[in-house]
Amino acid sequence: MKARLLESRRLLTLILVGAFLWSLLNVNWAEGLVHPGGLEALGQIALALFQPRLSPDILAAGAQASWTTVAYAVTGMTLALAIGLPLGVVASGVLTRVGWVRRLNVGSARFVLAFFRSIHELVWAWLFVAAVGLSPVAAVLALGIPYGGVLGRIYSELLQDVPEGPLRALRGAGASEWRVLWYGRLPMALPDMLSYTFYRFECGIRSAAILSFVGLGGLGYQIQISLADLNYGRMWTFVLFLILLVLLVGGWSGIVRRRLVV
Amino acid sequence: MSELPDVRTFPRSRTLPLRLDVLCISAIVAVVLVAASWLTVLNGDRIQQHGFFSTETLERSLTFLRDLLGIGTGRTPAFAQWEEWRKAATLAYDTLAMSVLGIGFAAIVAFATFMFGARNVMVGELAPYGSWVWRVVFVLVRGLYIAARGIPELVWAMVIIFVLSPGLLPGAVALGLHNSGILGKLASEVVEGLDPRPIRAMRSTGAGHMQVMVYAVLPQALPRFMTYLLYRWEVIIRTTIVVGFVAAGGLGLQFRLSMNQFHYTAIAMLLVWYLILVVGVDLLAAGLRRLAR
Repeated sequence: MKARLLESRRLLTLILVGAFLWSLLNVNWAEGLVHPGGLEALGQIALALFQPRLSPDILAAGAQASWTTVAYAVTGMTLALAIGLPLGVVASGVLTRVGWVRRLNVGSARFVLAFFRSIHELVWAWLFVAAVGLSPVAAVLALGIPYGGVLGRIYSELLQDVPEGPLRALRGAGASEWRVLWYGRLPMALPDMLSYTFYRFECGIRSAAILSFVGLGGLGYQIQISLADLNYGRMWTFVLFLILLVLLVGGWSGIVRRRLVV
Repeated sequence: MSELPDVRTFPRSRTLPLRLDVLCISAIVAVVLVAASWLTVLNGDRIQQHGFFSTETLERSLTFLRDLLGIGTGRTPAFAQWEEWRKAATLAYDTLAMSVLGIGFAAIVAFATFMFGARNVMVGELAPYGSWVWRVVFVLVRGLYIAARGIPELVWAMVIIFVLSPGLLPGAVALGLHNSGILGKLASEVVEGLDPRPIRAMRSTGAGHMQVMVYAVLPQALPRFMTYLLYRWEVIIRTTIVVGFVAAGGLGLQFRLSMNQFHYTAIAMLLVWYLILVVGVDLLAAGLRRLAR
């Protein structure tokens, strides 16, 4: 009985609850948590949800902003693929057998991928905008770099996790490691890789929408200026556009993933 | 003729042509989207004063890097002053607290609802017969998840800052709202993938729906729920700085102020703190995940 008292899962629960309580202590409860007039604003925002502005010019602006957002997400994903695929292959360490070469390659590729994905896309975006100005290409880089880091890591894991049997058969037939990769690992890992890529595309839409915070247009920009105008009805229209867009892409990726992973 | 089998009598695969169709159409749509998007982006770049693909970009990037490292500015770089590091440390501490608070809110909401968002136990084969109440609850929960996660953290924060006064709390609430949708959906999908046998066994002994949920579904799903919780924490710590831009808490606010003042050596130092937090949380979460197994 005594051993069960500090069972690892119970320990985990204790740690998590403790951490949450610690974080509650850090909130300044003494000062007013809610703005004077904050509840009123909340009421107005909630009411506006039921009266979104649907005039033609706002809908047109929404469609325009949606396309910008989609364009950023798609171009960002192509860059992410261009980064993630080669780095993922290197990071999986399937091409080299020699000990120290392999360790060097795998280690450096993993480090680069980890660095890419540890910085949030909006922070990348701000750094790029500060460096080179408000070019849409900055948005592509800002999305592509962290997403490339994530894709590369997942790809490397998927390439390692394929069943060993068919690979041995290929090697037995005299295939080089490149051929084993091309004819063995890639075809077996492809459905999962595509499926994950589509899932990230879904996330990419949301990320692309907020890039406007640093001045690169899109749906987030429209939401931001509507809020600045205290025009909550207009804001909800654009938020609904964003949700619809995410649902659309999510539906598409869902269909593709169900076909791929059977 | 007669010695060859008639191809028309071959049993046809019913799934293959359909599969090819969906994937083919998707591939075509993807190619068109990629082409059109790159055209849009490159066109948008062309009308800029300085195109991205010019020597100007290289020069400006190099200048920016020099500014980050504090070369040739004449001032003492922020990262060379002990006082600045100490100030940033308290901000990093606040940021960590905000991330824990955010994941805590998300966990509470998701934990209370995720079982009611699972198709199999609410409307599918494991659901109680003839009960439309559970059906309504299921649709409601799933709808809330979609709305919560369809709106990015930053947009939530922009709205919440109208209601709550600036600090840790609005940022944490924004993080919590968005992530409760994500965590809830992930956890519901865990329930949908559970082994149905213990659930059926419970039901066959005459347990009510809530009893089945608490004693058959919850214990099975909990370890994976914990794993996802820790995985989301790793994501949240990266986003905390972004929410801080508008919620005015932690590293994010200072990052924004330093950017607006072109105080780039401070940006370099804040980025170092940010990376320390991210790597630290990654290691910590990996350690805690081992406990969940």
